[in-house]
Amino acid sequence: MTRVHDLAVVGGGVHGATAALFCARGGMDVALLDRGPLCREASGVNAGTLTMQMTRVALIPYALRAHAMWASASEWLGHDVGVVVCDGLSLAFTEQEAEILTYRAGKRREAGAPIRIVDGREAKRIEPGLSDEVLIAGHCEVDGYANAYLTGLAYRRALIEAGVALHENRAVEGVDQGDGGFTLRTAQGPLRARRILLAGGVWIEPMLAWLGVDLPIKTLINQLAVTERVAPVMQTVIGVASGLLSLKQYPHGTVVIGGGWQAVGDRERGGVELLPERLVGNVRLACHAVPALGHARLARAWAGLEAETRDALPAAGPVPGVNEAYVCGSVHSGYTSGPYIARLLADRILGREPDLPLFPIDRLLAPDPSEGTAP
Amino acid sequence: MIERDGAFHRRAAPGARMVELTVDGRAVTAPEGEPLATALAAAGILLLRRSPRAGAPRGAFCFMGVCQECAIFVDGALRQACMTPVAAGMQVELRGVP
Amino acid sequence: MKSDLIVLGGGPAGGNAALAAAAAGLSVVLFDEQPAAGGQVWRAPWAGKADPHDSPERREGDALRDALASSPVDLRFGRRVWSVGRAFRVDALGPDGNEWVEAPRLIAATGAHERVVPFPGWTLPGVIGLAAATVLLKSHAARPAGPVVVAGCGPLLAAVAAGILKAGGDVAAVVDLASARDWLVAVPHLASRPSLLAQGLGWTLKIAGRGVPVLFRHAVRRVEGAERAERVVIAPVDETGAFTGGSERSFEIGSLVVGHGLVPGGEVPRLFRAKTRFDRLRGGHVPELDADGRTSIAGLYAAGDGVGIKGAAAAVLNGTLAGLAAARDAGRLSESEWRKRAEPARTAAAGLAPFSDAIAGLMALRAGQVASVPAETVVCRCEDVTRGEIEAAAVAGATEVNQLKHFTRCGMGPCQGRMCGETAAEILARSLGVEREAVGQWTARPPLRPVPLADLLGRFDYSDIPIPKPAPL
Repeated sequence: MTRVHDLAVVGGGVHGATAALFCARGGMDVALLDRGPLCREASGVNAGTLTMQMTRVALIPYALRAHAMWASASEWLGHDVGVVVCDGLSLAFTEQEAEILTYRAGKRREAGAPIRIVDGREAKRIEPGLSDEVLIAGHCEVDGYANAYLTGLAYRRALIEAGVALHENRAVEGVDQGDGGFTLRTAQGPLRARRILLAGGVWIEPMLAWLGVDLPIKTLINQLAVTERVAPVMQTVIGVASGLLSLKQYPHGTVVIGGGWQAVGDRERGGVELLPERLVGNVRLACHAVPALGHARLARAWAGLEAETRDALPAAGPVPGVNEAYVCGSVHSGYTSGPYIARLLADRILGREPDLPLFPIDRLLAPDPSEGTAP
Repeated sequence: MIERDGAFHRRAAPGARMVELTVDGRAVTAPEGEPLATALAAAGILLLRRSPRAGAPRGAFCFMGVCQECAIFVDGALRQACMTPVAAGMQVELRGVP
Repeated sequence: MKSDLIVLGGGPAGGNAALAAAAAGLSVVLFDEQPAAGGQVWRAPWAGKADPHDSPERREGDALRDALASSPVDLRFGRRVWSVGRAFRVDALGPDGNEWVEAPRLIAATGAHERVVPFPGWTLPGVIGLAAATVLLKSHAARPAGPVVVAGCGPLLAAVAAGILKAGGDVAAVVDLASARDWLVAVPHLASRPSLLAQGLGWTLKIAGRGVPVLFRHAVRRVEGAERAERVVIAPVDETGAFTGGSERSFEIGSLVVGHGLVPGGEVPRLFRAKTRFDRLRGGHVPELDADGRTSIAGLYAAGDGVGIKGAAAAVLNGTLAGLAAARDAGRLSESEWRKRAEPARTAAAGLAPFSDAIAGLMALRAGQVASVPAETVVCRCEDVTRGEIEAAAVAGATEVNQLKHFTRCGMGPCQGRMCGETAAEILARSLGVEREAVGQWTARPPLRPVPLADLLGRFDYSDIPIPKPAPL
């Protein structure tokens, strides 16, 4: 008899791994497949920021709960992802930015994020490494970061302990439906499951195509950079009003510089080329915020993929028209919110009522209202 | 016998201009233009930094710009000593060396 | 600015590639981080060096420097290339800040770096590389503090020991991984380059004449000392480089000079994801090249020890061929003109193969060397990652080197994995019981070398930063 899993999860990033973990703990026989090792795409190479100040307003309630999950990862995940909870500052250097910042912070505050606006002097008290050029800042005590490259190791240990059948380096080539379940085709042979969860980040689009569903996913190619270890230059997570900077120094001394400056690449080839002028722009912004950073040396730069739906809100829920098929991903600032949204979906798969609503993709399959109607 | 307390030996050209630089406040003389790592080694300064994780003593290792062991502060910026020519008045700061 | 060809590296390969391409009419920009051409093997002495003697390397280097100086090649020395982009765009930091050049073709001739297989105490000040010692002797008019023990493998051993003696230093011992027989086997092949053979014999005679003990089939067991190297303990090894358990000997030292061959850099082809293969004899992963140095990426060529260890003589020829190939591909050389210029280099390169293989064979990594690294010994110098931690990562599920990096930070430091990469990969492969090829290679990332952020910034106003449209709220 071929083993038939209760659930097959395709994609071993934060979303897939978290859902697999909670479904296994909920009593399901779960298999997790990834074409590579766990968390080696967006979940392992992102900037690790766990912030409310770059999170979409509609996701704030989710991000707050996810932040609490990250902060207690040692309890539910059981392994270290290097999470540090600290103050976060979003900076405005010009009047125009101050206006954007005040508006955006207000909206996020209404959604529940405890962000307050402080003047430059107060911001500098909170972050002594800050430049004197700051006009105002959004200050949030619910902020921090994880060490993204440890994500794979931590989840790997947790999944094995939870009894998940882990299939790293096993690419799924297609899915056949029938016999009350799914057959996943792989070069190493087929794998059968009653339910399927597609959690492939930017690859959700080709994965959904296996089920005949067309969900366009935009691929962002985010540039990131890290310095070598340096003496402490900062102690908070720093962003800017536009959202195009993320900056933090890890306890071991490296400083990660991100913010979503775009590199050249696509879903098929990944990050193909970093653009030097954008790297310089990002670094200028970072050093404008924390001048002492100029002493550090750039050790490495890379590009990480980020998925975005048409409305930049998550794809998390059942796949319309395909019984017992689910999708989870495309969460803006998904590393912050990912574990909570995936846990909600795990509840749904386990037949429980999720604490907060999911983000079903039906809305994205209808014609885009902003594109007008055909005559 | 360990030679001259472990200082490297260097022969400068007869016409070389000797200049003074400061290493953690201490005056060191070296020919202008000599790679700094060599100038320091010739002054008996082999211990340049401590490794950031273990705090272990480190010195110049590859002398060709690859290993990064000799990266120290020169006039306030992190530079590889093996790639940095000595200049008069240069302020050198070793990293984590008491 | 735009040109027809960019050459990265001004050693024997890059220098000759630039000359050949320029002679065929291409506009060429040559970048190198050193102040003058020559690479490491033909390294120029710094201006103030007392240098009464000459050597074949010095003469060859001077000839290359003279030829480049009188050529139309746009020479950019003292430049730190940090970004190499498609189409091809090279960004470099120089005396006037960042500068960039675009060209439809690029030749990577970025050379090799030294492999030192770790042993306890190898991170102590006073332990330096064999190639480092050649730089000190050739270029800096300096020698390490004596007594010096010179250890490792390959032709540099005798050259460095002889150089230290000539400079008036004290060599306590030469410790060679190879047996005398290994050398005798290699000699007929080395004889295909009589001038170099004579040079090698000269070094050996010089060592013998001074009564310096040469301990064949021995290796460094450990270096002792608190804040610097004070004592080296050596022990006999078998043909694989593993310790036999035979009796140890120790020497009080001022310095230990040690090296175990060379590793091809290959960063630029890897950055473009050119096809590579693992070649143990040539020192590691090497790009797949055609006979003229074309990589699998259109317009990207590679030559010299950076694409596989073959030595300077081969680098000259392969560099020339790459330069001619670029000119031909650019339509500046007719088929017959290209053939006329390339045939002699192709023939000569083929004739060098036995010599290159013999030299590379003496320097190739032996299985027992890595097996002998103790568990508590640091492998990754930048991040102080030990062999034991690498093995623990294998147990935790790391199956290839980039995953190893994530699990342990091995290779994440400022040397960008150059010093530890090959050793760490061997340890991982051994732990998993797989072939070295199976654990892959580091993904190459910019910058090609660490660069101070302050140097990248240049002078700027906040309003100059092209801040893109904000993310959606």
